[in-house]
Amino acid sequence: MTLQALTANRLLDGEVVFWSGAHWVEQFSDAELFDDPDPADAALATAKALSTLLIDPYLITVTDDGAAPVSFRERIRALGPTDHGELGKQAEGGAAIAAIKGAHGAARSTGRLSLIRRKP
Amino acid sequence: MPTLIRLENGQFLDTADRWVNLDADAPLPSEGDVILPLARFEAEGGALLDEGRSVGVLIQPDQAVEGLAYDLPRLALVALAFPRFRDGRAYSSAVLLRSRFGFKGEVRAVGEVLCDQARDMVRCGFNGFAPSDGSDAVIWAAAVGRYRHVYQAAADRLAPAFIERERP
Amino acid sequence: MSVYAYDTIDREMLADRAAEFRGQVARRLSGALSEDQFKPLRLMNGLYLQLHAYMLRVAIPYGALDGRQLRALAAISRDYDKGYGHFTTRTNIQFHWIKLKDAPDILDRLAAVDLHAIQTSGNCIRNITADPYAGATAEEVDDPRPWSEALRQWSTFHPEFTYLPRKFKIAVTGSSKDRTVARAHDIGLKLIRGAEGRLGFEVMVGGGMGRTPYLGATIREFLPAKSLLSYLTAILRVYNRLGRRDNIYKARIKILVASMGAEAFARQVEAEWALLDQASIDLPDLELERIRAAFGAARFEALPARSPAFDAARAADPALARFARNNLSAHKQPGYTVVNISLKAPGATPGDATAEQMEAIAALAERYGQDDIRVTHAQNLVLPHVKLDDVPAVFAQLQRYGLGTPNLDLVTDIIACPGLDYCALANARAIPIANDIARRFAEPDRADAIGELKIKISGCINACGHHHVGHIGILGVDKKGEEFYQLSLGGSGAEDASLAAILGPAVPADQVAPAVQALVDAYLGLRTGQAERFLDTYRRLGPAPFKEAVYADADQA
Repeated sequence: MTLQALTANRLLDGEVVFWSGAHWVEQFSDAELFDDPDPADAALATAKALSTLLIDPYLITVTDDGAAPVSFRERIRALGPTDHGELGKQAEGGAAIAAIKGAHGAARSTGRLSLIRRKP
Repeated sequence: MPTLIRLENGQFLDTADRWVNLDADAPLPSEGDVILPLARFEAEGGALLDEGRSVGVLIQPDQAVEGLAYDLPRLALVALAFPRFRDGRAYSSAVLLRSRFGFKGEVRAVGEVLCDQARDMVRCGFNGFAPSDGSDAVIWAAAVGRYRHVYQAAADRLAPAFIERERP
Repeated sequence: MSVYAYDTIDREMLADRAAEFRGQVARRLSGALSEDQFKPLRLMNGLYLQLHAYMLRVAIPYGALDGRQLRALAAISRDYDKGYGHFTTRTNIQFHWIKLKDAPDILDRLAAVDLHAIQTSGNCIRNITADPYAGATAEEVDDPRPWSEALRQWSTFHPEFTYLPRKFKIAVTGSSKDRTVARAHDIGLKLIRGAEGRLGFEVMVGGGMGRTPYLGATIREFLPAKSLLSYLTAILRVYNRLGRRDNIYKARIKILVASMGAEAFARQVEAEWALLDQASIDLPDLELERIRAAFGAARFEALPARSPAFDAARAADPALARFARNNLSAHKQPGYTVVNISLKAPGATPGDATAEQMEAIAALAERYGQDDIRVTHAQNLVLPHVKLDDVPAVFAQLQRYGLGTPNLDLVTDIIACPGLDYCALANARAIPIANDIARRFAEPDRADAIGELKIKISGCINACGHHHVGHIGILGVDKKGEEFYQLSLGGSGAEDASLAAILGPAVPADQVAPAVQALVDAYLGLRTGQAERFLDTYRRLGPAPFKEAVYADADQA
């Protein structure tokens, strides 16, 4: 079963945020992981209505161990720019950040489920 | 009646709309002022004008206003469509109606018409607005009055900066 | 002050715009405006939503600014961003960590020093770019800056052209050596002299990079200078009316010109121009003179052509000698030079400058440079008026701040867009690729021996890194989630403009620097001598030997 997480950018400051199940949080490691598409879609629908809080929420796929987004682009969103390791979310350091950095393999780099073409 | 904003003598006014918008197939009312899409105007407009009715024409962004040049002196209104507010072709159409053809009737913005484009519309010569965002004359007046100067001459005849600078 | 002095009207424009945007932000935050309605408005104030935060693109009109303005940008980077800024290929500056709620305050801070972010994004006329050596180079027909300022005013809040089919970029060069990539702009303007020495413009239309690159066609060989604004109005009106609106990838003017044919397009423009009221659009001579005079004229001392102090310092310091050889350009005034400041120290992000670096450059400009600073499309900075006598002191200070890299136009002077590290549109990263290449050739003797080699890297098809006009162009693509890079050779953004041709299949990220190495080695082995640049060798021999150098080993031919 493909794990998913819900992400968006915060309207007020553009910060990348994730749905934790209760709050919108800034670290991917605090994100709620959905292993069932129905609650994921429901959470997405709720998020889309929060038009003064969020811009453009969408679902992303997550590795089976839940440690990192699958796509390289989403990893950069979860970490920060690779030219300045001291900037962005990665500056917090710790095991969760290291796990994203160390994750292997990547699907199509846009990360958006709706754009991933599944083989027939 | 549907909301309409008219710009008359520099004043924005909320007015009722006396015009009836007819699409290609709608039956013609026996009296009253009608706005016809271009193709229908080309077929039926002449007759209506001969009856003495006020006739308006609805121009889509891909339709050239030059085609109306012959009829403009007899038209009371040209409606220019904004299917999406980002489709800026109607601005050029309005400028041409005012500056090239000297059209003196109402140039009306219809479609996705938002108050944040008020100033550009007025400068290009629009003087009728069917807003789609619920805004009213007060909001439009405020939006248009927000800038003290303009850099370019336009259909609204405000003095561009380079003329203003010549004044003592 | 070296920049155009804003008068009350110009300043009130900025203030009114900032106030309007403040209101629009408030309405967005309250929900009165949807994101769909707000997005074009914020784009027209240079505010993008990128990967990590909002990005604000501040205009540096025709690449010219003074010390006060650069200091203000440094302060803004500290107060609202993370202490640095990024200079772009359209000579603007970007801040990558901006909050929407701060944007109105930032616009106010910018307006206080006659800066703004007006129309740096959106489907409107963007920043006019011009020759960074304007006013300093001897081979200038006329200074492009006053014309660029005239264009800036004409295009600002132009009510008819605010919702074009797509973005619109104009470049102005006054010199036969083109430092503006004019041929790859929607409109490229070259100042020329016509019959009886009359001043005019060659007008090129329909150049552009992106998904389908084109070089512009000359639709008018000579346009009298005073007709500039009315003629451009005609071009823009034809484009606004006829440009495609159904497909954003086919909406630029280059597509319209190509589909109509340049001659038919030119006829449409001429017909429109003949009908419009030129007198109401073109600037009166008085206004043109006012604009010209509002640029503070550089005050030059009468100096000998050679500076013994400079010559002695060069002889004593090999680093200064190298910097002088590589980064100084000839100035029209004896005893003066143009100093190029590289923002491409190997290992650093191309085009980035810290607040401290910006302040150091501002101080140098104020003390040694007539308070005049320029930005180039290659993401470097220029002090256009420096006495040779002062170059040693300037260089020492540049070195102190990591700004003394002597690599102008060399293999390590790489143009790279922010790419997937920052940009929501990107498919791949560009900055690490630039760093890999630059580190490989960091040794200055090596870079000198290779000579002029312009490498340009884009992280996606939008080509903000100008890869189509790179001697080596590199385009990042996404192949099954991995970063791959397509190499192209033989492009040029100078007066000998050409589009680069794809060399072969894309290579993985860790193979790019080795591939560039192979290309350089091939060039060094094939060139007729040091005077033959990489580009010239490629043009002489064609792609075959270069293709073989990159692909023969990898078995990918």
